[in-house]
Amino acid sequence: MSTPAPPAPPAPPAAPTTVVPGGTAAAGSIDARKTYGIGDSQVHALDGVSVSFETGKFTAIMGPSGSGKSTLLHCLAGLDTLTSGATFIGDTYLASLDDKALTELRRTRVGFIFQAFNLIPTLTAEENIKLPMMLGGDTGDKEWIDHVITTVGMGDRLKHRPSELSGGQQQRVAVARALASRPQIIFADEPTGNLDSVTGAEILSFMRNAVRDFGQTIVMVTHDPIAASYADRVVFVGDGRVTGEMIDPTTDQVIDHLRNWD
Amino acid sequence: MSAGTLIARRSIRARWGRTLAIAFAITASVSFVVGSFVLADSLRATFDNLFQELNANVDLEIRSAQQFTTDDARDPIDVAVADSIRGVDGVAVVEPTLQRYAQLLDPSGKVITPAGGPTFGVSWEGDNGISGLTIKEGRAPNGPGELAIDKATADKEGLGVGDKVSYLTDSGTFSGTITATVGLGSADSFGGAQLTVLDLDTALVNLGADGKVDAIDVKVADGADVATVQRSIERVLPPNAEAVTGAEVAQETSDQVNQFVDVFGTGLLIFAFITAFVSGFIINNVFQITIGQRLRELALLRAVGASGRQVRRMITLEAFGLGALSTVLGVFGGLLVARGLIALFDAAGAGFPDTSIVLEPRTVIVAAVVGIGITMASVIVPSRRASRIPPVAAMRPELGFVAMRTRRLVAGAIVTMVGLTTFVIGLFVRPGGTTGLIALAGGGALLLFLGVASLSSTIATPVTRVIGWPIEKLFKIPGALARQNVARAPRRTSSSASALMIGVALVSSTAVFASSLRASLVNTLESAISADYIVTDQSFQGLSPVVSEKLAAIPELDAVTPVRGVTGQVDGNTKNIGAVDPVAFDKLVNPDLLQGTVADLGLNELLLQKDPAKDLGVTVGSTVDVTFQNGVTQTLTVAGIYADATFGNWLISLDTLAEVSDAPARDFFVIAKLADGVGAATGDAAVEAAMAPYPQANVQTNAEFLDSQEAQINQLLLIITMLLAFAILIAILGISITLALGVFERTREIGLLRAVGMNKRQTRRSVRWEAVIVSIFGAFVGIVVGTFLGVVLSLAVPDDVISKLAFNPSIIIIILIGAVIAGLFAALYPSYKASNMNVLEAIATE
Ligand SMILES: Nc1ncnc2c1ncn2[C@@H]1O[C@H](COP(=O)(O)OP(=O)(O)OP(=O)(O)O)[C@@H](O)[C@H]1O
Ligand SMILES: [Mg+2]
Repeated sequence: MSTPAPPAPPAPPAAPTTVVPGGTAAAGSIDARKTYGIGDSQVHALDGVSVSFETGKFTAIMGPSGSGKSTLLHCLAGLDTLTSGATFIGDTYLASLDDKALTELRRTRVGFIFQAFNLIPTLTAEENIKLPMMLGGDTGDKEWIDHVITTVGMGDRLKHRPSELSGGQQQRVAVARALASRPQIIFADEPTGNLDSVTGAEILSFMRNAVRDFGQTIVMVTHDPIAASYADRVVFVGDGRVTGEMIDPTTDQVIDHLRNWD
Repeated sequence: MSAGTLIARRSIRARWGRTLAIAFAITASVSFVVGSFVLADSLRATFDNLFQELNANVDLEIRSAQQFTTDDARDPIDVAVADSIRGVDGVAVVEPTLQRYAQLLDPSGKVITPAGGPTFGVSWEGDNGISGLTIKEGRAPNGPGELAIDKATADKEGLGVGDKVSYLTDSGTFSGTITATVGLGSADSFGGAQLTVLDLDTALVNLGADGKVDAIDVKVADGADVATVQRSIERVLPPNAEAVTGAEVAQETSDQVNQFVDVFGTGLLIFAFITAFVSGFIINNVFQITIGQRLRELALLRAVGASGRQVRRMITLEAFGLGALSTVLGVFGGLLVARGLIALFDAAGAGFPDTSIVLEPRTVIVAAVVGIGITMASVIVPSRRASRIPPVAAMRPELGFVAMRTRRLVAGAIVTMVGLTTFVIGLFVRPGGTTGLIALAGGGALLLFLGVASLSSTIATPVTRVIGWPIEKLFKIPGALARQNVARAPRRTSSSASALMIGVALVSSTAVFASSLRASLVNTLESAISADYIVTDQSFQGLSPVVSEKLAAIPELDAVTPVRGVTGQVDGNTKNIGAVDPVAFDKLVNPDLLQGTVADLGLNELLLQKDPAKDLGVTVGSTVDVTFQNGVTQTLTVAGIYADATFGNWLISLDTLAEVSDAPARDFFVIAKLADGVGAATGDAAVEAAMAPYPQANVQTNAEFLDSQEAQINQLLLIITMLLAFAILIAILGISITLALGVFERTREIGLLRAVGMNKRQTRRSVRWEAVIVSIFGAFVGIVVGTFLGVVLSLAVPDDVISKLAFNPSIIIIILIGAVIAGLFAALYPSYKASNMNVLEAIATE
């Protein structure tokens, strides 16, 4: 940040036109469209998004407010459905799943971190972390869960309720929950949006470490160029379309890219 | 522990106010249900024991036989029969028994009236090992100058052995010295009855028994076989007398008493179920609201992998936990309710001998079905909705609310129509007799309430705006806020008002019914009966014929007739037959004669109302064979046909009655008319003088009678309202908890208002008036629905009971005032909550 901005790199190529499930892609979408409303008030939140996210990589999604980032993430995670097109996790097309299978998928193969309100207020931190496993009726991998808990540094606050935790601590619990069931992929929607920069950095390093050390796949929506710099790749969206991408981004590169938008 | 159980448990603990409110509603309902059962069961057991104890030493009872089962008194039996039985082999003790009206007098000559029970004079030949009576103090009375009284009355009146006391019977006033106080086994009282105990010879004379006794009790000798002795006795009995075992008599007597217990218990139970129904409403509403508030939490659960079914199960589990816990509390509560009611009866003088509380397994099962059932039933819809919340709602709550909507109006309209139809069919078509009537009319009314509750949301906004208008004018900003808050959530307003609506609807339908009843009575008294005096009985045993004889002897009175009754069977069907003095009756009553005359009604002739006449296919001159309980069959000739059924459908003369029945004559009431030219004051004085020795006869003028009937009708209304008290209390609690939840939801909004300068007082006021608007709305819908139900109900009742519709505006005003008070009461807690929240924290709330 203190270094002067390097010259802007050439604009990245447009998103690949052919995306297929399986292979190295942990998740992705093919010509995903999501339309809200009817007639004149129609909004194309997603207007033909084809994108894939590589296994074991940390991908950031950036774009202006209202560009469809959250919508994309919700549809990828099986929280919401598309108007047309397809999304997949691993080699499973989500459209082919009924509600039961989707629920199962969310519980076992997907982790989700929201910007806020991630935790069930009546459950303790520990119970929140174990929730997906408990819902599935199993105890999970105890060693792994202990490891995750130690790594996020929540060992001494396990018995606390969310209301007794700070915002940063709550997000750490959310990250731990997402990791605890070893999902194929974790989606995070502005996970550090409500945090100060130091706490945010802690969470982000932690997510990056999970990718590096455990081979976890993470897709994260962010407005923050610094947050984006933690990722292996940034995908840019605008008006419901993929407008570009950047590999191994630095903060300054991202800032430059965003500036070129205006 | 599964995630569902865990979250359900936590949710119960985290939402204390809500949990308590629901638990209270269920506990109260279950207590009421259990209390009704326990009370009835306990009373039944008590009476069974009482009569068993009374008859414990009676091996056989000799009495006149009954041709068919009826509540009519059996014909008495000649006391001489006792002597013939004494000679029978194996008979050890023979005691004739006699029980008639007798009442103790205080030194000033006024009757001593027990709080609730009847007053009896009985014969007793001392402790011969057969009677249930036990001496508490002194010795058995012997001779005309002696008597014994029950210990409870003695204690209450400060009487004791050696005191001289007077008593009144059908034959006159007597006096004697108290030689003993008596009790029943260990008890001091006989179910609250006042007892005057005389020896047999004295009783036969003083109680006006005319040489006849009610029955003859027999104890067989040690070692003798009861059945053998029974057969031997039967051989010496006159015709139409029978010998039955003491156990049978005990059973018959307690069955008779238990009929009343059953009616009483069923009545209580109906109100208990109404309370449970109202609780269901509240619980449903509370769950509905909390699910709205937990929307994000539930969506989050879905997002992290909970299935819709899991969410539903979780909420159902929560309800189950609450229901089960409250049921347990309710069972204990019910025992307390039953004890409390028994204590209340005791205080009122019922004097139950050691009532022990009976908790049947059946009661516990019903309690569980009601407690858990209503909770689970009221959570079906909310939990279904919760399971439909999409996972995205964790991020976009507004999407969740859309998904939770249901087609309530269509369903509401259908339910209303079905309910109404069932109600009307139940009342007018009456398939399946009384049970069918109660089931269909009751079930129909409940459905109707459900339907109206959901339909009322469509009118909630406009109606509450009108109700709120004066409040806004009066209280400015807080009033305006209250008015808007009510109007902006019409569905919630209507559902939280619904519970109150039901209570009010029941009260106002009863009010319409009662007013119509009164109006019809006035109508009858004005058009059909031209009596100036109506003499009713206060002894529970019917009036002695002496009363009407004395009145008939007064020259100031022109016409006097007693109204007696007897049951008889025609073609195997039991009919109630009235007996009157035809000449006097003709002057007093206009039964709207279609054929024949009243005054000429002769011996073995009959006046018939037109409906049974048509059913039997008889006309004037036809004959009808009537069999009476004592076995007498009499052929009666139809002498006239009439239309007005105020005095029943079958009328005979007193002479005919005397011909067919030997049972001691008792009058239901006596009606009398002043002679021409005699002023009211003169007449009153003459009647009063003649009736002075007969305080059990309650002489009322036409107007006084109407007043007392009206007082009774009002009392009925009051009792029904009191029985609805639990339901109404729960309804108020429902408004309170809905409001508190609303305040919680609007925390941020209220915080903002406080931040920009609204003071605590204004905050409190706005919540308070919100509650008042909601409860007035509930009362309004309730009055409309209830008046409608009351009209239908009154129309369904036969014309001889209700012939005219009437409304009582003062009751509507009382209900509305009550609604305002209920609202203020409901607002206590939520308004306190609202005004005491921390402004900064409130604004920071998400
Ligand atoms: N339920 C909905 N109904 C109508 N329009 C919607 C709905 N949800 C989203 N939209 C619209 O879809 C578009 C994309 O919304 P989305 O939430 O995906 O944007 P975003 O990129 O996440 O924005 P932000 O950075 O502000 O979070 C917006 O124009 C939004 O108004
Ligand atoms: Mg977004």
